[in-house]
Amino acid sequence: MYKIKLLCVFGLLFSQVMIAQLKTVTGVITDESGAPLPGATVVNLNTSNGVSSDFDGNFSIESSVGETITISYVGYTDQTIQIGEENSYNILLVSNNKLDEVVVTSLGITRDKKSLGYAVQELSGEDFQDVKALNPIESLSGEIAGLDIQSYNTMGGSANVIVRGYSSLTGSNQALFVIDGTPISNSTPNTGDMKSGRGGFDYGNAAMDINPEDVASVSVLKGAAATALYGSRAANGVILITTKKGSKKSGLGVTINSQILFGSVDKSTYPEYQYEYGQGYGGQTDGGDGYWLSKWNGSSAVNTTDDASFGPKLNGKMVYKSYNMIPELTALYGKLSPDNPGEPAGAPLSFFNTQVIATNSVSIENADENGSFRLNYSNTNISGILPNSSIDRNAITFSGSRKLSDNFTTSANITYTKTDAVGRYGTGYDGRNVNQGFRQWYGTTVDLEMEKYVYEQTGKNYSWNMFGMDTSGTDPNTKNHYFNNPYWMRDKMANSDTRNRYFGNVTLDYKINDDLKVLGRLGFDQFDFTKEERIDVGAVDPAEYYSSHRTVSERNFDLIVSYTKSITDKINIDANIGGNLRVNQWDYMTAQTNGGLNIPGLFALNNSSGPITSGDVSNYDATKKVDGVFARVSAGFDETYYIETTFRSDRSSSLPINNNRFNYSSISGSAIISNLIDNSNIDFAKVRANYAEVGADTSPYNVFSSYNLVAGFGGQPLATNPSTFNNPNLKAESTKETEIGLELDLFNRRVGLDFSYYNRTTEDLITPLEVSKATGGSALFVNAGAIENKGFEMVLNLNPYRSADFNWDITVNWSTYTSKVTDLGQDSNGTDIEYLALGSFQGGVSLGAKKGEEYGILRGRNFIYHENGQKLKRSNGAYQRTTSNTEVLGSIIPDWTGGVKNSFNYKDINLSFLIDIQKGGDVFSLDQRYASLTGILKESARLNDKGNLIREAVADGGGVNMPGVNEDGSVNNVYGEANSYLTVEGYVYMPEAAFVYDASFVKLREIKLGYKLNDNLINSTPFESASISIVGRNLWIISSNVPYSDPEAGISAGNVQGNQSGAYPSIKEIGVSLNLQF
Amino acid sequence: MKKYNLIYLLTTLVVLGCSPDTDYESLNKDPNNPADVSAESLFTSSLKNLMDEVNDIDYRDAPFMLLAQYAQQTTYTDESQYDIVNRGISSAIFSTIYMNVLYDLADAKSKVIGDPFKAAQAEVLSIYAWQYLVDNFGDIPYSEALNIVGENQSIAPKYDDAATIYDDLVKRAVSASAALAGSDGFGFIGADLIGNGNRASWSKFANSLIVKLGVRVPGDKYKSEVEAAFSKSLSSVADNITMAYQGSKPNTHPSWPELVESGRNDYVVGKTIVDLLTSTDHEDPRQDVFFDPKSKMNNKYVGGVIGQKSGWSTHSKLGTIYFDPTFRGVLIDYTEICFYLADAAARGWNVGGTAATHYSNGIKASFEDMGLAATQANTYIAKPKVAYTTATGSDDEKIGRQLWISMFNRGFEGWTAFRRYGGAPLVPSKLGEGDFKQVPRRLTYPVSEATQNSKNYSSASSAIGGDLQKTKVFWDK
Repeated sequence: MYKIKLLCVFGLLFSQVMIAQLKTVTGVITDESGAPLPGATVVNLNTSNGVSSDFDGNFSIESSVGETITISYVGYTDQTIQIGEENSYNILLVSNNKLDEVVVTSLGITRDKKSLGYAVQELSGEDFQDVKALNPIESLSGEIAGLDIQSYNTMGGSANVIVRGYSSLTGSNQALFVIDGTPISNSTPNTGDMKSGRGGFDYGNAAMDINPEDVASVSVLKGAAATALYGSRAANGVILITTKKGSKKSGLGVTINSQILFGSVDKSTYPEYQYEYGQGYGGQTDGGDGYWLSKWNGSSAVNTTDDASFGPKLNGKMVYKSYNMIPELTALYGKLSPDNPGEPAGAPLSFFNTQVIATNSVSIENADENGSFRLNYSNTNISGILPNSSIDRNAITFSGSRKLSDNFTTSANITYTKTDAVGRYGTGYDGRNVNQGFRQWYGTTVDLEMEKYVYEQTGKNYSWNMFGMDTSGTDPNTKNHYFNNPYWMRDKMANSDTRNRYFGNVTLDYKINDDLKVLGRLGFDQFDFTKEERIDVGAVDPAEYYSSHRTVSERNFDLIVSYTKSITDKINIDANIGGNLRVNQWDYMTAQTNGGLNIPGLFALNNSSGPITSGDVSNYDATKKVDGVFARVSAGFDETYYIETTFRSDRSSSLPINNNRFNYSSISGSAIISNLIDNSNIDFAKVRANYAEVGADTSPYNVFSSYNLVAGFGGQPLATNPSTFNNPNLKAESTKETEIGLELDLFNRRVGLDFSYYNRTTEDLITPLEVSKATGGSALFVNAGAIENKGFEMVLNLNPYRSADFNWDITVNWSTYTSKVTDLGQDSNGTDIEYLALGSFQGGVSLGAKKGEEYGILRGRNFIYHENGQKLKRSNGAYQRTTSNTEVLGSIIPDWTGGVKNSFNYKDINLSFLIDIQKGGDVFSLDQRYASLTGILKESARLNDKGNLIREAVADGGGVNMPGVNEDGSVNNVYGEANSYLTVEGYVYMPEAAFVYDASFVKLREIKLGYKLNDNLINSTPFESASISIVGRNLWIISSNVPYSDPEAGISAGNVQGNQSGAYPSIKEIGVSLNLQF
Repeated sequence: MKKYNLIYLLTTLVVLGCSPDTDYESLNKDPNNPADVSAESLFTSSLKNLMDEVNDIDYRDAPFMLLAQYAQQTTYTDESQYDIVNRGISSAIFSTIYMNVLYDLADAKSKVIGDPFKAAQAEVLSIYAWQYLVDNFGDIPYSEALNIVGENQSIAPKYDDAATIYDDLVKRAVSASAALAGSDGFGFIGADLIGNGNRASWSKFANSLIVKLGVRVPGDKYKSEVEAAFSKSLSSVADNITMAYQGSKPNTHPSWPELVESGRNDYVVGKTIVDLLTSTDHEDPRQDVFFDPKSKMNNKYVGGVIGQKSGWSTHSKLGTIYFDPTFRGVLIDYTEICFYLADAAARGWNVGGTAATHYSNGIKASFEDMGLAATQANTYIAKPKVAYTTATGSDDEKIGRQLWISMFNRGFEGWTAFRRYGGAPLVPSKLGEGDFKQVPRRLTYPVSEATQNSKNYSSASSAIGGDLQKTKVFWDK
């Protein structure tokens, strides 16, 4: 007690002394060239007070002798000074940009960026955290030159991540994700049928388990030279994520982040309907009153059996609607309802709810001289736009390090995530996707509010598409024809899935001496994934329960010896040698019921109506091991010239025993030419060049063939030969890439430029070469095929304005590439194979690779053009089309992509927005193809050039006169009928070319308005720091050429792109984000 | 201590990484699928796949009910309008027969050395499958086919002349018949889902194939082979080569998933057959088996207009027997043999009877097969438009018309009867243009052949006179 009192007295005295010496210190901050630095931050570390420098670099701050102030400015090394007797200080800040910037490269090795001979682009973790997208990977969209991200608007769906284009024909083209030196799986558990649009659910891609809150920085390694040390699987580029580590905190070290985002459907990406005509395919009116053919008790009944809108013109007549034909619905049964034209209360858009994404996280961190730790818990809860859809994700991350002795350090990073989803959206051409109805086959006058009412009242699957009345005059048939009641379906048939995942690493660092270090690391990634899909009894499709379990794991054992030495004052050596053993394991088991379910609503395998046979179950077990040794040597001369070479030798269990080892190497160099020329306008300049070769293995089981067992028949076993035959003579694939680049900082860092050109050839691709089925098989594994990718990438940084209070930065990313297929192998006659199918879409369009053309062409039937450039018409006014369905209609590869990010900082307020742009690339819309025939769209009830409804018969002045010519080139003015499903504008007559669209877009991808409490305000709160921001995502599609749809909409990540089938609308998201530290 | 840590780490890595190559190789062998299987399992699988293929009615795989105009699609009418290209149907047929029937049969044959009975069983099915391919496409890869791996590997086999293939198939059928006449070997017994290893039944099957192949080609090319075989071919409805399907998937009759399980209503009966069977000069009693009497509209069967959308509720449906999952599958039956023999007799071949006798036998067999009484058959045969002597048209047309009626639900044989003999009142498509206007005379080759076997595809296309639906197979009139 006494001691405390004494201490208090002492403290009071001491503070008295401090206060007595308080003074105002002034100064001017300049860079190396003497130019003032406006807007630099000056903080008194003892009081935590801070100020900014003004336009001329001047500042003034209260402080006392002996206190420490730091001066910091983005891109410059912080400077710390201790206040002495002087009252004025000249501060010189040294640029750290380029010269001392450190980046993380392959295997987690950190390098001086200036010494690299290849392109690396970095992003801060904030870019991941600003707006928490459904899939965190989407946050990278538009931010990196040469990185193309596409996502598909489904809740928790996958993102396609392509760096520098497609370079494999049939293998994965997805970038490799590496967290703290440990590769993690980015597989997509979607089925092949799902990816080609034949129905199923998008279960996302595994890299979405990355918790955005843990990301400290991201660097994207684009070229082969940058990734050579990872071997083959990095040939598609690497996204390296460095996670946050504990750092020293003055407060408790607690950070809380909260964000809530509200999403609504972007109406410009959904159909506009006609509401003048009722259900029907046309030609079904009875002629008497021009109304319905179907009669019940003498009155007209809506033609509910038809899932189209070419029915009669509505005029308010009293009719039987679907809900008037349901016996259990006594209030409405047998009553007549008025059939009025106009938009029903429950139009399709009313089916979609507001999407809500809530993310909350809390972390604790701290550090001292012997170690650090950080612990984070995050929860993300999503409620989707469809009824009964949600995802809940919990993530816990721990990272810690401890210095055991002067030269022995141990560290560990471990992340556990659990993701539970219910009611993921059905995709593609499938009854479980509501858009199959709403976009393709639908009665636009259907009132979904009544569908909901019917379901709520009866609990049963009565829908707008019941068979209804026939001409027999008996009571209506309430069985559904093609479509379920959408409310019943979403409620009774929700799929669900759970993913438990663990990944991380444990590392031991041992410093032998100042030059030599050894690192041993175990990296691991494992997930258990369960998905369940359900079709209930009473649905249009046979009832079914499907359950799939997958365990996927990867372990990496790394041993890396590092050596750094300054041989002379001018020569530095930096080298590694190491070994890696990688073990991948896959264990899948899938089972489904056969022939329906006995008890409705009981989704269990033992509720199968028929016996479960070997056709209903499958399992796949595989292990792959790859061991490799590698070496890297880098030498720097005079901090101006750098050269680096790498070598790696791998042995893979997936290759034949006599060809299982493959070696590859790279060389790169750079020169910092700004060190050689003296020009005050050039702050930094570097040229770089590299050449690299990378080998690649394949998946397990492509060497030895085995038979397939199929369901037995009456106790007899059945077996078949495989359709794809394996090959005991395979060898490794090879990628060769040359890249040159230029980095510039000009005009006192007002302009920065990073430019790359690359030329990559991938050859000896291990491809299941499609062969004539007359061989007895459909494909044979061979080394065949080559793709040449060439492209440019540019990153431009501009700082048009900066002052003490206001700063404006612009970052422009731009890239373009061509992926040319140069070889597809030869057949047994030595004839070059000209085409390889990559996917075949419903609607007669296929995606493929054609020799001599770009990867990813869309083929189908085209218009026939006269030599005068006009389309040829038929005698009935429809267009002619080619017989061949192999006409090239487009390519999925864009001409170029780019992003422009503007950031404004005014005092404590910042505003940034990102515009994402794609030019070119094509997409086929099955939605538009089918809608062309069902008369649901607004334009199907428009007026023609005579001012008459096109739905009137041509004889009555209706129909459409599409521009075109006769065979002889003369203008053809024949009007075609447009009053039924046989409309000349429908796909019965139109070639697929009519439904292939330019997928160019300009989008306002992200916007953020943030406010950070300034130091004066924060001192009056319990917090160390606090900020709040308003964020938005996908708020505005500024330009698009795809009707009623998001040009980016598609099905799933993977090689099969360019297909819209039952596409989901784009979601505009807006919300608030809060960050508190204490 | 510190040194030991390092050594330990290094050793761990070296030990882990240095498994011998043979261990690596064993990782690459699939533990869940066998490297070898029995000939029995391949034979049964081929037989079931062949049976499924020729009995399937799904318009996505086997649109023959529509080509024969037995049925009409309700909503999605592409195939009814003779657009067989859009859904890639040729490819499905081509690949099923080559990959899932012929290749597995060839593999099974290679595993039954020393059992000529088994080899002959596999051979008979192979001959059947080859004829099915030729009758669908015309010239096809034959002599170089089925060699995706092995010594004679060819991933782009050449096409052989269809008539030459027929020569070889007849030869092969004759020697299979001879092998089955002997007594060597045990044969597939349980694995034989159609004959349970009954040598006599297989012998009749082989001889029936000689008749079917030999009669299909106009002229007298195979006269002696047919005359030698006919008496050993199927001689009653009880001899029909059929297989009993089972009650649950995947072993139900292939039409069950399409007609019943799917809950879809893709077909109504076709106007062509309805109008003929219900016409006053036919009043064919088989109408109440082929069509569902409950689906009469105002006491009349109403067939869908060929090539036009035909509402489910306003048209008559297929007979209920076709909705039974255990409905038998047929490869070849006594009914068709009778009509082939009628044709042979009409050509003056010595096949144990006149054209009229065989013709009447065929109709009787069809009635019997459909569960109708012999008296009903006799009444029917007595009608002037039916009786061989008084029915209208040439021998071919008379035979063709009745063969077409009798092959109801066996779409491929019905369509082939029309192509070979005419007589059936099939109509052009209502909407189709160009090659899709007339009833197809063959299926076009799969699109994949043009890309994966381009040189041979081009020569074959020009050899047959163009890869079009209107190009005729060599035996077509």
